[in-house]
Amino acid sequence: MAVETRPPPALRRHRFDHALEFASILLGTALAFLVLESAFGDAQQNFEELALGAETRSLYAQVDGRPIHCRDMTDVAACLEGHAQRGGGPAVVWLGNSQLHAVNQLQPGQENAAPLLFRRLGERGLDLLAFSQPNANLQEHLVLFAYLQPRLPMRALILPLVFDDLREIGVRASLTGAFEDPRVHALLERHAVGRSILARQGQQGAGDMAALYQTVQEHSELALNDWLEEHSALWALRPQARGALFSNLYILRNSLLGITAQSKRSMIPGRMQLNLDAARAILVEAKRAGIPVLAYVVPLRNDVATPYIEGEYARFKQQMEELVTGEGGHFANLEQLVPAELWGQKRSTNLEEGQELDFMHFQAGGHALLAAAVGDLLDPILDGASR
Amino acid sequence: MIFNSVTYLLFLAIVVVLYWHMPRRPRLWMIFLGSLTFYGFWRVEFLPVMLVSTLVDYWAARAIDASALPGRRKLYLGISLGINLGLLFYFKYLIFFADNASGLLRLFGFDVPPPAFSIILPLGISFYTFQTVSYTVDVYRGFVRPEKDFILYGCFVTFFPQLVAGPILRSREVIPQLDQRPRFQLEDLSIGIRRVLCGFFLKVVLADNLAPLVDSGFDQSVASLSALDVWTLAFLFGFQIYFDFSGYSHIAVGCARMMGIRFPENFDFPYLASSPRDFWKRWHISLSSWIRDYLYLPLAGERVQDRSSGGLEAAVDTAPARPRRSTRALFESWAIMGLWHGANWTFVLWGVYHATLVYVYRLTAPRFDGLPRWLQSAGGFAITLPLAMLGWIPFRAESLGVTMRMFAKLFVPSEYLWLGMRENNYLVAALVMASMALAWTVRQTALPRLEQHPLALAFARTATFSAMIALIFIFLRPINQFIYFQF
Repeated sequence: MAVETRPPPALRRHRFDHALEFASILLGTALAFLVLESAFGDAQQNFEELALGAETRSLYAQVDGRPIHCRDMTDVAACLEGHAQRGGGPAVVWLGNSQLHAVNQLQPGQENAAPLLFRRLGERGLDLLAFSQPNANLQEHLVLFAYLQPRLPMRALILPLVFDDLREIGVRASLTGAFEDPRVHALLERHAVGRSILARQGQQGAGDMAALYQTVQEHSELALNDWLEEHSALWALRPQARGALFSNLYILRNSLLGITAQSKRSMIPGRMQLNLDAARAILVEAKRAGIPVLAYVVPLRNDVATPYIEGEYARFKQQMEELVTGEGGHFANLEQLVPAELWGQKRSTNLEEGQELDFMHFQAGGHALLAAAVGDLLDPILDGASR
Repeated sequence: MIFNSVTYLLFLAIVVVLYWHMPRRPRLWMIFLGSLTFYGFWRVEFLPVMLVSTLVDYWAARAIDASALPGRRKLYLGISLGINLGLLFYFKYLIFFADNASGLLRLFGFDVPPPAFSIILPLGISFYTFQTVSYTVDVYRGFVRPEKDFILYGCFVTFFPQLVAGPILRSREVIPQLDQRPRFQLEDLSIGIRRVLCGFFLKVVLADNLAPLVDSGFDQSVASLSALDVWTLAFLFGFQIYFDFSGYSHIAVGCARMMGIRFPENFDFPYLASSPRDFWKRWHISLSSWIRDYLYLPLAGERVQDRSSGGLEAAVDTAPARPRRSTRALFESWAIMGLWHGANWTFVLWGVYHATLVYVYRLTAPRFDGLPRWLQSAGGFAITLPLAMLGWIPFRAESLGVTMRMFAKLFVPSEYLWLGMRENNYLVAALVMASMALAWTVRQTALPRLEQHPLALAFARTATFSAMIALIFIFLRPINQFIYFQF
């Protein structure tokens, strides 16, 4: 007769603990997916544009169903096709940040500056293509310029100078497609800042699969990701979930540290230098290609104290003027262009409900002023170029 | 194959299921072929290099064991070391050597440009070379008998959880476990999954999100960085590499444990070390143990050990029997350990820097013996942490010149009066430091209390697992390799 033996109590307790741990893992997994589903199940926001706030809308103008205002490498082909469709004639390129595409308190039928200038240039037989990304820095403008310059008969380049954006460096993933063009490499290789962009890009590889670049696993990983995106809405929403998480952290940080739109933010010397170097590279390359550059200090809300440290901002404008004119470009300061009543407010970026001042994005009236001012500044430049 | 990928998770699930369902011989074949597949998913063309190394040591170990003549045994050992270290030299150090030789010749007026080599470093070569070398040396020393079964031996060398970045294992620790599969226990599976989750969290949630901050800081010109920035970058990179590498080790230990195989631990809260010696008992323990047994102790003329745990331990005894020889051995072995990490003088500097810390500790520690124990620990921690973190500057910096310029900033008072990076960098560094201290405190105080109440513990664990799994799900993507993959 078999004798049934029971394990000693300590061993039973040990087994029980691990069974409980295993149950915790299973329960934790189920809970995690419940939380994810409820938190991000319908996340569709473009988190790069979170700072715009609910009162500000992005506009990317189209002409005859083709965009004349694009974002980055994701839609550059459409802009270039549109230009070709319109005859492929000489074009002015306008690069910029969200100020170029965002309209505060947008009303139906209103436009931003790009289509207004497009029509004005059209009277001279010129095309216009605008490209803008939120918080775009001058290194990104350099990459985009390097990509567009061999593809377009560029008559002039319009380059906004945004003090805020000199705190940003690096090239966002949506522009890295430009690096596939050897002509972009060749242009960047001619400048120290370009070489540092390339080196950084070399380390980063391409996007989320960077670590698998040119490996066998790259194929399996892509296939599995495609399959998962097709069969799981939650998996497909992971980029948005990451964006939402960082946005919430950003809001939490602002709330904890009392950061508002009016908080003073100081310039970061190293980042500013890299951007100045990028601006110089754009100016040098444009001069080499015979493309006149109009660089302007962007309109700034001037009815309240700005979030800039005055001395730093003044030094920035002076440095930029010296740099642009020194490299044969045309410099303009449009900081006072847009009157107080054409600026607006945006949703607060901390946990307090309410509005805060928007220092970057103005109303449609401001866009009209900007298009007119840039048009006026361009006229003599284009006359000079055509002579 | 990179761990932080969907491909690997699928691969792991298949291997674990097969492992528990197959009899011995097919199981060994499955592990061996699975490990080769794992490696081949990176670059198939480097599989032969690993197999050559494996075959050479299999043969050399058996030849050593079969020979009674000391000269013959030495010859076989020499062949094994020559081929293994030769491969390592070719793939890892040839370009470095050629560049330095060219620079040296230029000093003497001969302008000989270095030849243009195009060599790709095979993944994990430094790790599997050290592992196979230790096997042959251990057989030579008589610590272990050579393994006759090539597939079992092949499993030891190529076992996928530890293949590309350790822990560096000793044959005695692993071969018996691979040979005889233990009985399936839920404990192994749950501990294994917990460790894997922990590793994924450290890698994809923490390390990969610290990487952009670190990269942008080191991308700036040194002139644009203040002394406070240098400190912050040292801490940020210190955290990044710790999360990255300890994350890898957690995954490696966890994957093996899911198959009932126990690996030695590779990390033990290194940044809470109370002395440089303590640091090396807690950081990359299997490497410092390897260096101790196969470099330091032989060079110092002391008795060698055979275990991949313990780290530096006896190697930095405060009263060595032969102080001069021991000091020389310390600097030599730590410089070589630095060079093992990468073919750049910055890594040598990193090794020598740590050897200096250990040496200074050895000289000064006896003077503080009279102090209360808590004061020794607290004071030691307060000194060791910043010094260990500063050591990461040469490890991460592009060149010796950049390292020196960054270090120079630390000695200029005016460089402490301004900031040169985004505010988030300082904030994140402070937050991570505080979180690590909190994690340690919870482990030391709250966890033992929770363990007395199984249901409360289960509740806390469920909440923790759910947060970790949700974050891993969001951040899992092969955006960055593990830092140690490049070594």
